[in-house]
Formats: sequence, C-alpha cells, structure tokens
Amino acid sequence: MLWVDKYRPKTLDHVTVHTDIAHNLKKLVKEQDCPHLLFYGPSGSGKKTLIMAVLRQMFGSGAEKVKVENRTWKVDAGSRSLDIELTTLSSTNHIEISPSDAGFQDRYVVQEVIKEMAKNRPIDTKGKKGFKVLVLNDVDKLSREAQHSLRRTMEKYSAYCRLILCCNSSSRVTEAIRSRCLNVRINAPSEEQILDVLELIGKKEGLQLPPGFAARIAEKSNRNLRRAILTFETCRVQQYPFTSKQTIPPMDWEEHISEIASDIMKEQSPKRLFQVRGKLYDLLINCIPPEMVLKRLLHELLRKLDAELKHEVCHWAAYYEHRMRLGQKAIFHIEAFVAKFMSIYKSFLIATFG
Amino acid sequence: MDVEDMEMDIPLPDELEFLESNFHEPEQNQEEEEDHHYHLADLEPPAEPYSPQPPPDLEAPSVDIESSGHKRSRSSSLPEEEKRAKVRVTVQEDSSTEEAADEDWLRYSPPPQEPAAQETTFAKEKTLSRFASEIDGECMPITAPNGDRVYAKLTRFQGEERVKTLDCNGYSAELSSEPINVILERLEQEAFAKALEASSEGQSVPDVPEAQMVNEQLWVDKYAPKSFTELLSDEQTNREVLLWLKQWDSVVFGSEIRSTSDDVLSALKRHSSIVHNQKPLNSKFPRKNGGSKWSNGGRYVNSVSMDESGSSKSIQDAWSTKSRNIGPPEQKILLLCGPPGLGKTTLAHVAAKHCGYHVVEINASDDRSTSTIEAKILDVVQMNSVLSDSRPKCLVVDEIDGALGDGKGAVEVLLKMISSERKPDAGKQTVGKGQLERKSSKKGSKTTSLSRPVICICNDLYAPALRPLRQVAKVHIFVQPTVNRAVSRLTYICKKEGMKASAIALTALAEYTECDIRSCLNTLQFLSKKKEDLNVFDIGSQVVGQKDTSKNVFDIWKEIFHKRRTKKSERKSHRGNSFDFDSLYSLVSKRGDSDLILDGIHENVLRLNYHDPLMQKTVKCFNNLGVYDLLHQYIVHTHQMSLYVYLPLVAITVHHIVSQVQKPNIEWPKSYQRYRTMMTEKMDILNNWHHKIPPHIARHLSASSFVEDLISPLLHILSPPTIRPVALQLLSDTEKNDLAQLVSKMVSYAITYKTVKSDMLHQTLKSELADGLALSFVPPISDFINFKDYTSNHYVLSVAMKQLLVHEVEKHKILQVGVDKTRALANEGHEIIETGTPNIPLANTNVVARKSNANPTIVSSNLNTDKSSSAKDIGKPQNVGNIKKATRSSSSFFDRFKKVNIKGVESNDRSLPEEAILEKDRYPLLFKYNEGFTNAVKRPVRIREFLS
Repeated sequence: MLWVDKYRPKTLDHVTVHTDIAHNLKKLVKEQDCPHLLFYGPSGSGKKTLIMAVLRQMFGSGAEKVKVENRTWKVDAGSRSLDIELTTLSSTNHIEISPSDAGFQDRYVVQEVIKEMAKNRPIDTKGKKGFKVLVLNDVDKLSREAQHSLRRTMEKYSAYCRLILCCNSSSRVTEAIRSRCLNVRINAPSEEQILDVLELIGKKEGLQLPPGFAARIAEKSNRNLRRAILTFETCRVQQYPFTSKQTIPPMDWEEHISEIASDIMKEQSPKRLFQVRGKLYDLLINCIPPEMVLKRLLHELLRKLDAELKHEVCHWAAYYEHRMRLGQKAIFHIEAFVAKFMSIYKSFLIATFG
Repeated sequence: MDVEDMEMDIPLPDELEFLESNFHEPEQNQEEEEDHHYHLADLEPPAEPYSPQPPPDLEAPSVDIESSGHKRSRSSSLPEEEKRAKVRVTVQEDSSTEEAADEDWLRYSPPPQEPAAQETTFAKEKTLSRFASEIDGECMPITAPNGDRVYAKLTRFQGEERVKTLDCNGYSAELSSEPINVILERLEQEAFAKALEASSEGQSVPDVPEAQMVNEQLWVDKYAPKSFTELLSDEQTNREVLLWLKQWDSVVFGSEIRSTSDDVLSALKRHSSIVHNQKPLNSKFPRKNGGSKWSNGGRYVNSVSMDESGSSKSIQDAWSTKSRNIGPPEQKILLLCGPPGLGKTTLAHVAAKHCGYHVVEINASDDRSTSTIEAKILDVVQMNSVLSDSRPKCLVVDEIDGALGDGKGAVEVLLKMISSERKPDAGKQTVGKGQLERKSSKKGSKTTSLSRPVICICNDLYAPALRPLRQVAKVHIFVQPTVNRAVSRLTYICKKEGMKASAIALTALAEYTECDIRSCLNTLQFLSKKKEDLNVFDIGSQVVGQKDTSKNVFDIWKEIFHKRRTKKSERKSHRGNSFDFDSLYSLVSKRGDSDLILDGIHENVLRLNYHDPLMQKTVKCFNNLGVYDLLHQYIVHTHQMSLYVYLPLVAITVHHIVSQVQKPNIEWPKSYQRYRTMMTEKMDILNNWHHKIPPHIARHLSASSFVEDLISPLLHILSPPTIRPVALQLLSDTEKNDLAQLVSKMVSYAITYKTVKSDMLHQTLKSELADGLALSFVPPISDFINFKDYTSNHYVLSVAMKQLLVHEVEKHKILQVGVDKTRALANEGHEIIETGTPNIPLANTNVVARKSNANPTIVSSNLNTDKSSSAKDIGKPQNVGNIKKATRSSSSFFDRFKKVNIKGVESNDRSLPEEAILEKDRYPLLFKYNEGFTNAVKRPVRIREFLS
C-alpha cells in the first residue's frame, strides 16, 4: 500500500492533523446526539479521513467492512420512469454515494436513497444506534434542484438517518442546507502540520530525514497533505539515503502549465496564442479541471510578473474564471484570459522599454 | 366572349407592332413571327372563328408561303398565313420527325431537294443556333460532316388541335379552286387526323376547356421544356444523363426494333467528343472541365471533379469496348442532386421520355414506408404494363433525401436490389449470361433485381440517408445554368406572354434567385397578373420571395472573415454598412447552427493575418466568444429561446473586428470535438480504474484528485530506479522487501502491466520496440501525463522487470482469492482452517514469507497437527513464485507430491504462459467435485488423510 493509505488514521484518537476537530467530533458521537454534518475544505486536507473516523467511532469496526454495489433505481418522474445507475459503497450501517454522478437526475437519487434507508430502519437492539448514516460526496456539485429536495428530506427523515455531506466549497451549497447541518470546516493543514506528519511517517518507516528536506516537501505540496505524502514516497523510491538537495519531482501537469506560462511571457501574438491553445487543450483532455488550469496558470504567471501588473492580472483572472463558471466552453474563457494577459503585458513592455 | 375579345384585342397591336418593326429582316425573324402566331393561336383558339375578317379567297392556298409573307398586307392576312403554315406542316406530319424538320425548312425553297443540299442550307441559315436554348420551341440537333453541330428549329404541332382548326376553316374555303393535288393531300391529312384522334383520344378530350385552362396554367408548367434540347440545364449533364439512359436500351428493349441503333449512339458519342474537342485544352478535359465547371459549387469541387472524371472515363471505356449487346450501365442508379429550381426533375422526365420510357414518379408526398415503396418499385422495375401504353417504365424517385426516415426506406430497397443483383452477376462477366440469370430468376423465385433505370433526385447530396446510395449510384451534380441562358429563356417567355421586361431587370432577377428558373417564372407571372412591369428595384423589395436556403458553413465563415473590397464612396455611405450587417445577419441566422459557426470562428480566428500589435482585437474577439458562450448557456438553462436572435450578432462583431481583405484559409473546427471525445474517453478510463480499486482506498479519492495529485507520483513510485532487473533469488532482503511492497502497491491500486502493440506506445519505450511488443500500464495511467512537447522524466522499468512484476501481481491476486476461499471454507465451521486464516493478513503474507527467506524447513518436519497444514498453505505458494528455489527445496520436502513436483520442474524451463498452470499447482492438491447426485456421505477431508 502507498503510505498515504498505510498511515491514514483510522480512528478519531489517532488523528494527527485536525486534533481539535477530532476531539469535538468524538464528544458529539459519544453524546449519542449526532446532527447532520457538513464537512468542507480543500482537497487533501483530510475530510474523508475524518468522516471515516467518525463512522468508525459511531459503529465500530463494522463500518470498515464495505461492499461496492452498482445499484439501479427506478424512479417515477412525472410521466416517465427513469433508470438511474449509481455506484454505492455500503456497510450495514451506512451508505456512501456521489449523487452528482447521476448528472441532472441527482435529485431523484437523493430522495430515493433516503426514503429507502428510512424504510429499512435498523431495529434498536442492545443500545445500538437507531439510525443509518448517508454519506454524500461532492455536495457542491449537486444541482440546485437536488439540494432543494434534499432540504425537505433531511428534516423529514432525520429520525432514521443522519447525513454527512462532504464538499470542497460550501459556497455552492445552499444556505438552507448549511443551516440544517453542523458545518465543519477542515482547513488545509499548515506546513508545520505537514512537516509533523512527514516526520512521523519517516520515523515509522525507519528513514533518515536530513534537516530541511521534509520542510521542502511540505512547502512544495501546496498545503495538500495527500500530495505531500505521495511526494515523500516518490523521493524515497527515487533515491533513498536522502540528501537535503535532492530534487523533488513535480506534478507533470503543473510542469506543463509552467511551460505554457513561459511561452506566454516570451511572445505575445495571436500566433503564440494559437500554440498555447493546443497545449491548453492537451491539459483539458487529460481531465484536469479548467478551474485548476486557470488558477495554476495565474500562479505561474504571477511568479514572473512585474509587481505593478499583478493586481490587474489577478483581477482579470478572477473575471474570466467567473465567466468560465457561468459558461460552458471553458477553453474560450481560458484563452480569453491568456489574450488579455498578453495584451496587458505587451502594452506594459512597450510602455516601459519603448 | 366579350371579355375574351377584349383580351384578344390587347395583345394584338403589340404583336403587330413588334412584327412590323422586325419585318425588314424576314429571314431572321420568320421563325419568330411564326412562333408568335402560333402562340396566339394556342392561346386563343376559340377566338378564331369569331375573327372579324372573312377568310380571304384571293389568296390561293397553293401560293408559296415564302412569297405570301412578303406580299400580303400583314394586318389582314395574319390568320390566313397561320392556317397555311399549319396546313403544310400537318400534311407532312406523317413523315418521321426528322423529315418533318427538313420539310419544314423546305418551305423556304420551293421544290424538295436532296438531303446533302439541305444540310448546306442549314449551315448557312442564320436561324440555326449552336445552342438549343436559343431556339424557341422544339428543335433538333444536326451534325455536319465536319463535326459542327447546330440546332435547327422544329415546328411541330399537336395534331388534334391543328386538325380542329383545319376542320372549321378548311371547309369554309372554296375547294373547287384548289388543285387536285392539294385536295388529295387534304384527304390524306384528314385520314391521318382521324387516326390520330382515335389513337390519342384521351388527350384530345380536354381540348375544349383548354382556353380556360391556358390562362390559369402556371408559366412554370406552360414553358416547361418538352423536349431534350429545350432543357436549360448544363449540356454536359444532360448528355450524360441521356447516355446513361441509353445504356439501358439493350437490357430494357432487348432486340426489339426500338433498340437504339448504333449510329444514334455513336452520334451521341461523337457529339460529346466533339464538344470536348471544341474546348481548349481538350487533352485534359475531364479534370479541367471538372475544376472550372464546379468552381461555383463551393465545397463540391473535389468530389465532383473526381466523379466527373471517373464517370466520363467510364463512359469512354464503355464506348470503346461497346458492342451490340451491351449490358445495363455499371451503376444502376442515377443520382441527380443540386439546389432547387434548376430543373432536375424536368431533366429526368424529359430524358426518360426521350428514350422512350414511361416515367413513374415517387416523390415525397407519396407513402414512402419501406414496405409500400418496395412493392411500388418492384411494380415498376419488373412488371410490364398491359395497358395500351406499353412503354417500359422508368422510376424517378424525387426528393429522396427529404424525410429522413421515409427516404431511408426507398434507399434501403434500392440498395437491396442492387446488392442482390451484384451477387449473381459477380461471377459472370458476359452480359448474355447475366440476362439469362435474370430471366430465370424472374421465372423462379422472387429475387429483386433491377432491370429498369432508376433516377433518384435529391437536394443535398451529403444527407446522411444517402450515404450508402452515393457509393453505388452514378452521381451528377447540377450547377446553376449561366445567367445568360436563363435570361434568354426568360426574355423569350416574357415576349411570348407579352410582358415588358428589360434584359437588365431579368438578369438582376436571375441573379437574385440564383438562377432558380422556377422562382423567376413564378415571380414574372405574379407581376404580369398584377399588370406590373418588372422593375430593377422591385427585385430587392418584397415582391420577389427570396429562397430560404442556408448556405454552406464554409461560405459563412468565409463571409465572416472576408472583408469585401468596397469602393470609397460606398464605404462612406451608411447604406453600405447596414447592408453588410443585414446580409451577414441573415446569413448566419439562416444557417441556424450557431454553435458550429462560433466553433469555426474560434478555431480559425487566430490563423488570420490581422494587424494587432497590442492584442486588443484578439481580446475583443475572445470576449465576444465568451459572451456567446454565456448567452448560449443561459438560453439552454432557462429555455429563453427568444434570445437566440442575438447569437448571430457575436459573429457580426467578430467580422467587424478581424475581417480581412485577403482570402482566409478556413479549416473545419475539429479540435473542440476532439477534446470532448478524448476527455470523455479518459474520464471513462479514470472511472473504471476508480471502480477497480478496492473501496477502502478508492473512497478517499475523487476522479479529479487522481489527475491532480496521484498519477505523477504514482508513476514514479511504481517504477523505482533502485530495483535491479535480476532474478528474484539474487536480490537482497531489503530489495525483496521493496519488491514485495511495490507489488502490494500495484495490487492495491489495481494496476498491472499488459502487452500492447508497439505503435500505440509512448515514445519513452522505444528501446523495447525491437520486440514489437512491450508492456505498459493497465489502466493506461502514463497517458495522463502525455502532453505535447512535454517530456516527463519518469523512469521506466525494463521489460524483464515488468514481466516479473506482472507475475508477482498475478500471484498476489490469486493468493488473495485463495485466502478468501479458505476464509469462506472457514465460515462453514471447520476448525482446521480457522487456525490458518487469521494468520494471513492479505498483503503481508508474501512479505512475511519472504522475510523468513521462504524456508521450507518450517514445514519440512512431518507435522500432523492442524497448524502444519496451514503453514504449508503459506509456504507452498511462495515456493512456486520463486520457481528455482521451490524446485530446489522441494526435492527435500515435497518429494512425496510427485506430480506437483514434476510440473514445477517442467515449468522451470518453460516460459510465461505456463504460469497459469503453475498458479494452479501452487496448491498442494486440487480436487474438484463434479456435482451431481450421489448417495455417498459427503464430508470435508483433510489432505493428509489422503497422503498417509
């Protein structure tokens, strides 16, 4: 197993990064009165790990015995009936789904699953929990309709099931849902925390860490714990007795974007923009979300940019990202940003160097 | 009748005036005069008996027409002259058409002459024309010995009508004054007329109401070409269609008399070759001609020129090899396509009639479901009519591209017939045999073979329903006739109808309607009904309906990127600007497919050479594209379809920003679609991979985090440069440990290697290309970092190492299954295995075993306890994994398991495929229950009980 999986804390007691949150969660579970939970935070910060730990805390190790199922729901939607297929992970006490996979029919999925769970309510024996838990991933990708339908169902069946919602950004979860949940924000771990984790792993693996090496990894990881650990393992594989100046392999797509950025800085012309388009398409083809591309591109460009332009460029990046989210063809907007940047940068160059 | 008289009075002075003005050129205008007279007669036959003048007796009927034309005072003798002419011609009607023409011409020279002399006179006559369209009414081609070809006018009449007029007028004249030969002629004529009437009774019936009908009739029908030479469409196409039809003759008519004689065919051939010769650069005719001819056809250019050259070549071939008994043409279906109103249907009808077929038309208004159409086609193609009209039938399927579902039915039936034809014909080269075959098949079973010509007509050659048909049919694409031809025809019709229209106005009209002769005629008729004259300025206004045809997308893009070179004055005037706007708007909105148009703009805009030093234009352009995207998305989401009207404006803005005078080089937008498909493909790969990974790992990952965080490090981790590609037993303990961990990682992420064809490989694997095969990751995770112009520095393991890993991974998986099985067995409640299973944590089995250096001594002693058997379970698979070790050690311990051992040794020198057997053999014993009914008591048995 990769270290990421190997050293993932299984229980709330073992959690190393968000200890305070873990502590609170533990108390919550212990008091037998667990509300709906909404976990949100950037990727690689440990949301899922915490959720698993909470489940384990609630149901014991039984929560870890999961089976994968491809389930089909038959839904009566007005005049016609729909067949919706979705993969679920379920144990005896909980079900985990990503309803956004069902596309615009996600509304039915959410309702059906919850109703079904309410029907098969576990019998309260020997002080066991009288409810099941439904874990919904990517709630922020749920359509607005689904979120609205979720709101009512949540209340109606709250006696039989608890929801644990998980998303990256709470801004796209409707107010109504947020107010019905206990919001738990999971910060991206700070670099020090990442450093601690890396050192812990190093100790467990019996590795010699030269001073400053782990810090470099932590710095490069963008405060993403998963990435930090993966990078750490990569370094270990490539060259074991670590040296403090060892190269840390970058993410390939980020490397590609930095190439694009330097292309843009070198020449500003429609022709160059055309070349850049090809590379951007390449990135998008490889399933890298356009938002990430734009963000990373801005990051790379800012590093090479004159200070007085930074503000303006950031403004335009935000502007085009906004439009990108409203629109559908991301490539139009990313290119528009590149064109805008080229225009700004070129006029700046002409103004300063004549 | 008063009204009729009035109506008659109006045109007459015009006609006369016209005639008089042209009178001084009798030779040239003779024909035209006659035409007009006939025309009048056609229009108002009932008016004639009421004509105020009594038939003049002075003029003897025997007087030569030629002289009478000069002598008579025109106003008084007009009807008389008509009658004369009619008499003469009708008399000669019984001779063949060709002769009729000759005779007709003979009127100008008193006694009949030898044919050779006639021909020379034709050549000198000015009324002959090189183009059929310039001659009014029917005409016939005449080829001079030197190869020149001209069209001579034919004056032919519809028999019965003429006879009628003859009947009333003829008897009113004094017979006694006529010479005997005239009387005889007349008698003969009467007999002929009766015969005619008898034979074509059906046609003569509507004679009486015709006067009423004529005024109601659409000009389009009235002036529709009646004969082949009258066709307006391109001569080359006409001729090839005719040629194609002629090729059917031998099949359809067989040895009947109607079979076209060789000389006609060869004339046709000679003629077409003459045409070729007359053109410059005749040696390169097909290609050259194709190129120039279709150049206004836009995107058709390539395909058509190929078709063209191919078809004309095939014709030449056919001709060169042709003997008397030629078969049907190679392509049994003719596909005519082109924009509406150019005369495709007319051509099909006229040509088929010309070749002696009875035309059966199936068009979009008929029921075209597959079953009905099949019956219909069979009916046409295989049956002979028993009615009086025994001409063979020719099927014309009009508007075959029309409705997709229906048109498909027709296409399918036709294809089926063709393919069923091909099969029996394939073996037999000679046509005679083919015919026999066909005959026998007709007698016997009902196979659907195509033995009559089928002409399909469509507007859009590239309609999806037609794709299969396109490959088997002979395709002809109609081009617009030249404006001149159309205009000359229009002038002719205008004159006939007595409508004033200047050539300029007609030209403008023809241009406006893109030479759609049908819409031209309809417009003219409409105007004439309103008693208005065609005005040049009218054309742009509401009077003329403009065709709502969409243009080719490429043309639209061209229009957007191409700036018209405008004169300075025009540029200043506001009108020019708004006109530009309007035309672009209508262009884009008519096409409707704004998404495609915008994609095309996006794809091509950066390739233009516009001057943009500060990229401001580009920014504007992209902002507009962005606006389009937002708008489109908004419309889709909120269903506010009314907002669609604003989408073309984006294209117009782009046009104003970047349009250039020089011609743009436009490409079809592929990259966005390519991106969409490839992305979904890769997304599928990711999702599949995600599902394969065991849930306890997969649940922590989302599809996006795979690419963002996981893949790059994973590639590094899975191919560590530190592992030496040597045999397993040469590895040190730590290395073995690393290897075991690597295997467990691969298993936990459901990754393995697979052989792939070398051409699909990433470049970094070039070293292994020599083998032709190489191993690469499955799922293809290395593809996800495969960017253009980007070289990743991922270390790639050697083939040997990969093969080793494949084995290990497979083994690991099987081991896992095995453990699961034992676990399942354990659940049935046998204590033996229960002791074993808890000791085997899945991933660690191997590692633990390896660390203990796979020492068989653990189990070497003869143990009878339960524990030993479980230990055996662990030790055994390990042994087989390290084959050599296993065999070596097994000699000491496993000697009792003879069979197993032998296999192990054998597989030692065998290559990989034996692995599967090995995997099976890893288990000390395999026993299999053949399930069935047995009375025996079943109970679980331990292996050692068998052994001891």
